[in-house]
Amino acid sequence: MAHELAALSAELSSVTARAGQSVVAVHARPRFSSSGVLWAPGVVVTAEHTVRREEDITVTLPDGSAAAASLAGSDAGTDIAVLKVESKGPALVISGEPSPGDLALTVGRSQDSGVNATMGIVSAVSGSWRTWRGGRLDRYIRLDLTLYPGSSGGLVVNTEGEVIGIATSALSRIAGLAIPAATIQRVLDEILSSGHVARGYLGLGLQPVELPNHQKGLIVLSVGENGPAAKAGFLLGDILVSLDGSGVSDTDDIQRILEARAIGQSVEAVAVRGGEPRKIAVTIGERPRGN
Amino acid sequence: MRGFGSVAERLRRATVQVVSGAQRGLGSGIVWDSGGLVLTNAHVARHREAQVQLWDGLRLPARLVSIDPRRDIAALRVAAADLEPASPGDSSVVKPGELVIAVGSPLGFAGALSTGVVHSVGPVPGMGGQRWIRANVRLAPGNSGGPLADADGRVIGINTAVMGGLGIAVPVNDALAFLRRGPLPSLGVTLRPVSHGLMILEIEAGGAADGASLRPGDVLPVSVEALHQALDSGRETLRLPFLRGGNRRVRQTVVRLEARAVAA
Repeated sequence: MAHELAALSAELSSVTARAGQSVVAVHARPRFSSSGVLWAPGVVVTAEHTVRREEDITVTLPDGSAAAASLAGSDAGTDIAVLKVESKGPALVISGEPSPGDLALTVGRSQDSGVNATMGIVSAVSGSWRTWRGGRLDRYIRLDLTLYPGSSGGLVVNTEGEVIGIATSALSRIAGLAIPAATIQRVLDEILSSGHVARGYLGLGLQPVELPNHQKGLIVLSVGENGPAAKAGFLLGDILVSLDGSGVSDTDDIQRILEARAIGQSVEAVAVRGGEPRKIAVTIGERPRGN
Repeated sequence: MRGFGSVAERLRRATVQVVSGAQRGLGSGIVWDSGGLVLTNAHVARHREAQVQLWDGLRLPARLVSIDPRRDIAALRVAAADLEPASPGDSSVVKPGELVIAVGSPLGFAGALSTGVVHSVGPVPGMGGQRWIRANVRLAPGNSGGPLADADGRVIGINTAVMGGLGIAVPVNDALAFLRRGPLPSLGVTLRPVSHGLMILEIEAGGAADGASLRPGDVLPVSVEALHQALDSGRETLRLPFLRGGNRRVRQTVVRLEARAVAA
């Protein structure tokens, strides 16, 4: 039994050391550094909430040397920031679907102490999940492990050393999450090609309501000035019941529909005004950036 | 059943509770040899006399043998034979990610076990230039002085603090160096970091600073790291700058760093 534990211990430390070859320390905020991952040659991915400045960003590479990094772009919605650094790590092996109960390690790095690790388990896995910041994670992967200051942006691996994702403490109040590898790849591609992640936008403040006939809809509480909805003629008090041919009963439905359509495309909305449904064509705009 | 059972049980038998002084809280300690040598933290054993309670409940009076406030280690001696000592590991080969077990008396519960992994090994800001083991284990007051062991139950560190949720342990090789060569030179003062240096809170009677013209409230305009470097320089006397009472003038005093008399 003791032997088994020793074997597990040796396995965990060797997985940590190997993963550490892909992990850098990111210096982009006051006081605590965070961690980042050499995801592809010349590309470091880290947690967006730990990047508090756009210039003078440096990283501490696995060999202990410092390198300048430039911010290629970031997406607050999924808490992903992409840095360009002249360095590369070993090719990452992405894990298959993680299961609740799998042992997981978060591997980070600091300038003073080098590689660091924290261990726990994957506590929950479910399908596509909308973050409170508006982005979409391809999987919701909740971690039962302690994330310390500096752990965010670290590489989450299983005991085989396969990559589950990148750790973040900013997307859930109750637990650390792994931003799934698939989401990172998707967001990374978009950031590298256009510098940011464009999100569809109507410019409506909406609240779910139930109509007298028990139909569900979203009542318009605010209309963004000069936004796509304002230009299309939406008024306060309109009740949006369908968008692009699908019924809508929650703001999540709107986000999902907008995600499937390109910015600049026109979609047909149905809104109840004065008890009468009416069709309104609206051109999807781009969500204003800046925070 | 897989688990930490037998490893933990051996470690538990080598872990003691330490009560030092009247109001001082409870700490833990490690039985280091069968003849009654017990290691604990300096901040647990702050008095010459202490009480040690073995794993089976037996209470024994203990005497402070040697203390090293800089490494936060103290050696106690109890009159006993045939104790079950812990086996020391080698902290120079400790790696992040390896499994660790901590035993102690958190909040007074004797023999409580926590497990996790080594987080990192390296210096801790504000705790001198030396290396510490940081571990992803849940510790509480009362774990202080107890063992942090590897998956084979070999002691790799002595739990000493919790910082930002991480357990911080003195590497066992530092404890072995302390047992072989005695404590590192120290000023014999309690210091607290302030904006412009280190403020003296307390001066130990008989300590190195006791003979110098220092008083509680004086501020040494140096960092912990710089102070430790000066103490380790091998000089017998140390010229020490200090500030007093809001006065901007830097004063100087000379501290004699002779090896402190330690009760053997």
